[in-house]
Amino acid sequence: MVTAPMTALTTSAFAMDIGTSSATPPTARPVSTVPTPSVTAPTGTPASAGPILIDIEHVDFFYGPSQALHDINLKIEEKKVTAFIGPSGCGKSTLLRCLNRMNDLIDGTRVAKGQIKIRGVDIYERSVDVIELRKRVGMVFQKSNPFPKSIYENVTYGLRLQGRSNKADLDAVVEKSLRGAALWDEVKDRLHTSGLGLSGGQQQRLCIARAIAVEPEVILMDEPCSALDPIATVKVEELIQELRTRFTIVIVTHNMQQAARCSDKTAFFYMGKLIEYADTRAIFMNPANAQTEAYVSGRFG
Amino acid sequence: MDSPHSVPASDFLVNNKRIRVLGLSFDDAVKIFFGGNAVVSVVVLALITYFLFQEGFGFFGQNHRNLLTYRQAGLEYVDFIRTQESGHTALTRYLSDLRLRQYNRLTIDQKQSSAAANQSLASFDAFAAQYGDAVEPIRGLVSDLTEQATAIKTKFLIAEDKKVERQQLLAAGKSAEAAAVKIETVDFATELKVLTGTLPVYKETSAEFAKRLDVALTNAPAMPAPELAARLDRFRQLTREYVATFPATTGSLETWDYARPVPWYQSFTAFLFGREWLTASFWQDWYGIVPLLIGSLMVSLVALVIAVPLGVGSAIYINQIASMREQRFIKPSIEFISAFPSVVLGFFGIAVLGQFLRWLSQQPSLAWVPGFPFSERLNILTAGCLLALIAIPTIFTLAEDALQNVPKAFKEASFALGASRLQTIIKIVVPASLSGIISAVLLGLGRVIGETMVVLLCAGNRIAIPDFTAGLAVVTQPVHTMTGIIAQEMGEVVRGSIHYRALFVVGIVLFFLSLAINFIAQKIVRRYRISIG
Repeated sequence: MVTAPMTALTTSAFAMDIGTSSATPPTARPVSTVPTPSVTAPTGTPASAGPILIDIEHVDFFYGPSQALHDINLKIEEKKVTAFIGPSGCGKSTLLRCLNRMNDLIDGTRVAKGQIKIRGVDIYERSVDVIELRKRVGMVFQKSNPFPKSIYENVTYGLRLQGRSNKADLDAVVEKSLRGAALWDEVKDRLHTSGLGLSGGQQQRLCIARAIAVEPEVILMDEPCSALDPIATVKVEELIQELRTRFTIVIVTHNMQQAARCSDKTAFFYMGKLIEYADTRAIFMNPANAQTEAYVSGRFG
Repeated sequence: MDSPHSVPASDFLVNNKRIRVLGLSFDDAVKIFFGGNAVVSVVVLALITYFLFQEGFGFFGQNHRNLLTYRQAGLEYVDFIRTQESGHTALTRYLSDLRLRQYNRLTIDQKQSSAAANQSLASFDAFAAQYGDAVEPIRGLVSDLTEQATAIKTKFLIAEDKKVERQQLLAAGKSAEAAAVKIETVDFATELKVLTGTLPVYKETSAEFAKRLDVALTNAPAMPAPELAARLDRFRQLTREYVATFPATTGSLETWDYARPVPWYQSFTAFLFGREWLTASFWQDWYGIVPLLIGSLMVSLVALVIAVPLGVGSAIYINQIASMREQRFIKPSIEFISAFPSVVLGFFGIAVLGQFLRWLSQQPSLAWVPGFPFSERLNILTAGCLLALIAIPTIFTLAEDALQNVPKAFKEASFALGASRLQTIIKIVVPASLSGIISAVLLGLGRVIGETMVVLLCAGNRIAIPDFTAGLAVVTQPVHTMTGIIAQEMGEVVRGSIHYRALFVVGIVLFFLSLAINFIAQKIVRRYRISIG
């Protein structure tokens, strides 16, 4: 799965027609009346460029009439951890949810301009099968949300959707995924009890196991630790370090220390704009932009 | 003023200007007003329950006396012989059916004219007539005994009435008038001699009857087709089995004793398991709830079979699939159904739906449907369809609530794993809200089982247990229901009579049924509610 070319997406018979990419740009302006901060040109391409997996080009995004993202340009590298930081409402979660088209579920949203390419395929193309896309681009949510089913059924859910029902096969994937999510030793004796019976941190790792069970290429994490206590947070962060060898990870976080600890690259957003994107070390030690500097040093946000 | 101690204490009394009426502040009055409302509803509930039970429980004593009179006045004795007679009637129906089959064979298969067919069936008719007439002596005996038993019963009931009259006069202090009331004591032993004295006559008649049946059978004409011959053989077999029961009847008559006590529980069992609801009869009243209970359950079952897919299905559509514009249109439309008064629905059922269903059933192309064609316009199906209309808004609204309560996070997680909308609905949303959906269905059931007007108008009101041997076609038969019978008969019964109290007990059964349904619905919701950590 990991090496399968992304072009397979376009050949699916279940192409969904949402018509977002062809929508005409709306006339509305940003709702905020705060004067937009003076911005130096976003450093879209950092110096140490690896192979690019996700290429975001000139993306404008709207919730109904209000614009949430302004001309975003960003290249996400393969098998790296990329962190999105910024104050609340800056558009980082919105951009994250654009990457697997979760925003499609919200009425009235659209990418009005620009393209998001994964392995060169524009994922907002009409012929793209959203279901296939989401199998390749997994997601972990802010609030842990295991299904009200057993741990085993939670992990195998995505596989069963694909019609895989071989017991030995599923057992192997459950063990591999739970080990991958550093949860196996804690739950191996109660795989058939409810996933809701786990602690908050365990639930979140179960959600990660569920996401990696379908072998995606990318894992999107939307503030995965914001509802966890510090010890559970440490475990999830350690897990992210292990997962980076196998997956490309994009993580949204409010916690700047977390971004500093976990990520290879960091993108700073403010008011729907990408302010600065660079190696994490550079963002925190030597930011090029004054606003980034103010934010990472805790002077606002 | 530079020290905090210098602030005068009176400045701190913030509460001293409140107006009080009768020692009550405004807050107290508000509290009493709302509390009073709550108390009134609780008291009313208690009073209704008390009234229901007080009126209802008297039934069992009265029914016990009713059953006792049935035995003491010899009605039970006569009914043994009557059962024998009705067994014969059932057999003659079998013969009629056999005749119809022959007739059809002649007219339809062999294209004979009806006159010719009747002529060639003359020998069969003679046989049938002989068989039918065989019962005459028994029938005559039953008729005589019925008169005698009724006379004894009437005599006894008049004596009972007189007793009540005297007691009332005594209570009113009119002892002279009370003494003037003549009470004829009924000595059952002597009175019943007339009845039981006929036993030798019965034995003779019964033997004669058996002989006549035997003779009649030997005169049976040969059947023209093997299929019909098999039926005639079956009929012979049935007759032999029937005759074999005669000694048992004789035995029951011989051992019958008017003085044998009626056990106390029989008034309960006769009600709960009684297969007959027969009132204002010249012979004997029976208060058995089974035909009414089955009627109510059948009608509700048909209603649920229709309403559950429609209600739950539309709830899933509205909640999971429909666009905002569709929601704005469909949701109020479904909820609007409940705005129809049930009497209007019943009226619609009689005037339109019943007619339409009957017309539909008589379409030749639909003859393969079980129960089609049917001639009763008002039946279980008609009432069930209309009750479904009543249940749909309840089921829809509650099921939609249950679906709405499924956290969005579940859906998002499912979509993020590559599930389609249908997969998400079937694997995540419906299972997560299943307890709510089940309780919605149960509350819908509670709604239809208590519904009165529609079933009174459209269920056909025939007090009989439907014939379940008809399979699915059973839904085209008319029934009567528990709610319908109360509405129909409560207006014309004498207050305090056994009939009046029997209706109250039916009401109690309904009450417990609804209570149980609501209780189970609540239990299910509590038990399986998903807690999101």
